[in-house]
Amino acid sequence: MKSKLILINTLRFVLLVLTQVFIFNKINLGGSVNPMIYPLFIILLPFETNKNLSLLYAFLLGLSIDLFSGSIGLHTSATVFMAFIRPLVFSLLKSNKAFENGILPGINDLGAVWFVSYTALLVLAHHIFFFFVEAFSFDEFWHTSYKLLLSTASSIVLIIFIDVLFKSQKQR
Amino acid sequence: MRNLITFFLKYSFFFVFAFLEIIAFMLLVSNNSYQRSAYISASNGATAGFQSNVSELADYFNLKIENKKLAVENARLRSQLKQSNLWHNDTLSEVSDTAKTQFYTYIHSQIISNSFQNRDNYIILDKGASSGIEVEMGVISSNGIVGIVNSVSENFCTVISILHSKSAIDATITSNSYSGTCYWPGENYLTGELNNIPSHSKFTKGDTIVTSGNSSIFPPNINIGFIDDFTLTPGRNFYDINIKYSVDYNKLHHVYIIHNLLKDELLKIKEVRDEK
Repeated sequence: MKSKLILINTLRFVLLVLTQVFIFNKINLGGSVNPMIYPLFIILLPFETNKNLSLLYAFLLGLSIDLFSGSIGLHTSATVFMAFIRPLVFSLLKSNKAFENGILPGINDLGAVWFVSYTALLVLAHHIFFFFVEAFSFDEFWHTSYKLLLSTASSIVLIIFIDVLFKSQKQR
Repeated sequence: MRNLITFFLKYSFFFVFAFLEIIAFMLLVSNNSYQRSAYISASNGATAGFQSNVSELADYFNLKIENKKLAVENARLRSQLKQSNLWHNDTLSEVSDTAKTQFYTYIHSQIISNSFQNRDNYIILDKGASSGIEVEMGVISSNGIVGIVNSVSENFCTVISILHSKSAIDATITSNSYSGTCYWPGENYLTGELNNIPSHSKFTKGDTIVTSGNSSIFPPNINIGFIDDFTLTPGRNFYDINIKYSVDYNKLHHVYIIHNLLKDELLKIKEVRDEK
């Protein structure tokens, strides 16, 4: 069971990095919207993952995206921040089901409302961090916010779509 | 001491977070400095090799359009040949080559990876030091200006795109010869800004903007874009001009790297001026 989980997560890591770098990084809707799907890896990490390890995973994930997109440190810092926020989001969104062992953060185990709000909060945190670190100033605050909100919306929709797509196949 | 260790263990989550963020920011800051030989890591090693394979594959999908573009360019160059001119005076002939000195040469190159959605965009090309590429060479495509070489490795080089917060290109409006500076405000990869055009100059929408040739990087009269619209705030001495780039930075594949053969001489004479 455990080794299966590791295998699934490793595969997910590689696939998400590749699709992000070679497909979604090339997408640019209306000149300013750049959807990011790789945060899905952190979103789907099991609840019982060691917190420090999850930070390390986030660091590796961000770094691999950075190496391909030539923006060393940018995605890394945002993803680490997102992994840092995750336990806080858990405590914020208390679910009816206690976070028992074996339950994974996903639509199937905890319901659509919980998963959507959980994803939205994490992706928003990631994108706020990302876009303001990228701009590195508050000079262009409104322009950055505009880009930030549009990208967040598209990322959330895509991430949930991808999750639903793969989950439903696994369950049948 | 024991208390200290328990303190660190208790809040290890925060400390690991802080530690990793510090590393990330150190990487970010040390790699983003404009003039430092940045992004060498991206132009080196495995990722560049991998990306060059993918970009090779992607090139197949664009063959048709690229062929057409190259054919159009060939036609244009052919029309500039001596044979395609009708000489009214038969005695006219080119005397000797000592009358001219080759100023610029062009090296063809292909794009391995390209970005246009970030605030600061970089391009990686498949030519490097082994092909004679040096830092601060200009890069153009058949439609216009693309960027400036920023760092060079053995087989690759990275280019600071025009779509960069620090890019500033000397530009001239062809219709009235006034010069200004071209910036990218970062809103959209299709449009840029032209500053420092004095308020008494006259021009219209759609006028072409080309490089001025004031720098040692780009030859004069290379397309940058067209005037999209302009405003003149009362009391200000300069127009705010929005331009539309002539190059679609989303669709770049083949570019030319410009080698200025007399650059050393030019820089030397500038140094002499600066010393005085």
